[in-house]
Amino acid sequence: MIPAPAIGGVFDAIQQVKAGAPAFCTNFFPVQRKLLEWVEHGELLVENRGDAAFFLRQDRDFWHFYFCARDVAALRREITALADIKARRLTTDLVGSEDALRDIIGALTLAGFRPYARLQRMTRAGGPTAPSASTDDAAVTWAEQGDGPAVLALLEAGFDHIADQLPLLREIEAAITARQILAVKIDGTLAAVLFFETQGFTSSVRYWAVAAPFRSRRLGAVLMRRYLESHSTVRRFTLWVVADNRNAIEKYRHYGYEPDGLVDHVLVNELIAE
Amino acid sequence: MKPIAHILKEIRPEFDFTASNDFMADGMLDSFDMVTLVATLDKTFGISIPGTEIVPENFQNIGTIEALLRKCGVKL
Repeated sequence: MIPAPAIGGVFDAIQQVKAGAPAFCTNFFPVQRKLLEWVEHGELLVENRGDAAFFLRQDRDFWHFYFCARDVAALRREITALADIKARRLTTDLVGSEDALRDIIGALTLAGFRPYARLQRMTRAGGPTAPSASTDDAAVTWAEQGDGPAVLALLEAGFDHIADQLPLLREIEAAITARQILAVKIDGTLAAVLFFETQGFTSSVRYWAVAAPFRSRRLGAVLMRRYLESHSTVRRFTLWVVADNRNAIEKYRHYGYEPDGLVDHVLVNELIAE
Repeated sequence: MKPIAHILKEIRPEFDFTASNDFMADGMLDSFDMVTLVATLDKTFGISIPGTEIVPENFQNIGTIEALLRKCGVKL
C-alpha cells in the first residue's frame, strides 16, 4: 500500500470501483475535513486493485482498515491478495443492519479477521429534558486548551482504544476550540467530560466519562443534562454504546435514548491480541 | 406513488425535509441514512441507483433527489 498523495486520488479510487458496480459495498464514509487531515499527516495508505480499493489509517499502534468493492465477491477475492492484512495490526468497523452485514463479515472472517466488539447506536428525539433532582450544574464549564492531555488521559483510561475510536490529542484540541467538550473540574482536576459533535439538527455524544476517583457524585448526570439542555434546537441525538454494556445502556435509556437498529461490528486481525 | 418528502419522513420522522435545502449540512441525513434511503428508493421506484450516483450532492434536498430519480428513468 502507498501513502495517499491527495484526497483527489482517494475519491478517484472510490469512483473507479463504484463505476458500474452491481452491488457496491464499503465501510469507508470519510468526512472531507478528516480525510484531508489524514492525508496531510501521512496517516492514510491506499491500494487500488480495480474491483476493490483498500485504505489503512494509522491510529496509535494499529491501523483502521477500510474497503470499497464492486460487490462482496470482489471484496472476498481481492482482500486475500492484500499483503498488509497479515503484516499490520488492523481493526475494522462494519456499520449497518445485522442482515446487511452478514456476507461482509463472512468475507472479512475468511481473510483472517475475528469479532472483537459489537456496538449499537441509540437515538433520542429532541425535546425537553426532565427536571433535575438535586444536581448543581454550576461546575460545568467548557474544556480549555490546556486540558487536552487530561481529556486524552481520561478517555484512554475509560475506553477501549481499539473499539471506541479514541481521538488523538490534536483532535481533542480542535474539539476544545470548537466548544465540543463540556467538563467538570474539581479542585483544578478534570473530573468528568462529555465530548459531542453537532451538525445542524443532529447531535452525537462521542464520549461521556467520569474519572474513577469522582464517580458516584452524579457528575455524569450533570454533564448530560447540561448537554441536552444546551441543544434545544436539535431534533435528533445519537450515540454509540458497546452492545453488552448493560449499565451504560440503562443510563442512556434514562435520558430517553433507545436502540435504533444500527449496529457496528468491530473486527480485528490476528496481530491484535484478545 | 409516494412523494419523496413522504419517504424521507418515514426514514427520519423528526425532521421537516421540505424546509431544508441541504439535508447533510442541516444534520438531517447522515451516511447511514443515505444507504437506507437508496435502498428505499430502489424498492419504491423499481430501479437500481448506480454506485457512481450515491454521492452527497445527489441527496442534498428534495430537488436533487428528484433529479437523480429522473436520471435513473423514473417519471415523476
